[in-house]
Amino acid sequence: MTRYSARVFRLAYGITRSAADAEEVAQDVFLQIVHKGAGFEGRAALGSWIYRITTNLSLNKRRGKRRELETSLDDLLPTYLPDGHRAGDRAFLVADWSRTPEHELLSDESRRILEAAIDRLPEHYRAVLVLKDVEELSNEEVAQIVGDTIAAVKTRLHRARMALREQLTRYLGAGA
Amino acid sequence: MTCREAIDVLGDYLDGTMPPDVVAELERHLAECAPCRAYLATYRKTRELGTTAARVEMPEEMQVRLRRFLIDRLRAV
Repeated sequence: MTRYSARVFRLAYGITRSAADAEEVAQDVFLQIVHKGAGFEGRAALGSWIYRITTNLSLNKRRGKRRELETSLDDLLPTYLPDGHRAGDRAFLVADWSRTPEHELLSDESRRILEAAIDRLPEHYRAVLVLKDVEELSNEEVAQIVGDTIAAVKTRLHRARMALREQLTRYLGAGA
Repeated sequence: MTCREAIDVLGDYLDGTMPPDVVAELERHLAECAPCRAYLATYRKTRELGTTAARVEMPEEMQVRLRRFLIDRLRAV
């Protein structure tokens, strides 16, 4: 149970961004496991069912909550000229801050900015980000869990990472 | 390859799921385009930092509460 509850909480917290909501999701998930009993063909089936039910319950919890925080991602994505080269007022945001010293990257302020940026992602994007980057599932597995195509999963993941990158760049890029 | 096309495939590039000819084309673009090189470096770092920030583990006391909750529910059935 400990192994599964750790996964359930990580995913539920990743989507809801609330420890109280994640705890309620974990309770609901385990109640469903108990009711389903031995109806699973194996550990793999149980594992992916747990991810799927956790994702659905977490998204339901989020429905109607804190929507005002969620950002339109379009404002955080790169812009291009018709010929595909960079354009617009965000074109300058290409500072390479990746070699910023670790203590600065991991400072309270960087962490706060990153966490706020994660909070502001639309919840379906956050679900994909956590399943792929935290739980390290394949695109195929994530697509199955969220009930979407692999192409849609890849697009959401890429847009989510670009939005986080942009917000970090606005802070870290200034000093790079 | 344009900047837009290069940025569009960065996720696949980091995943290692791109066909070799597209990898070669992207790497040619990166060799000539400093802004896209910077974008790739910061995109990669963002993924790393984002993974750490989004990974929040279940507190020990919550594990205990969850176990107790399930035992109580099972006893009530």
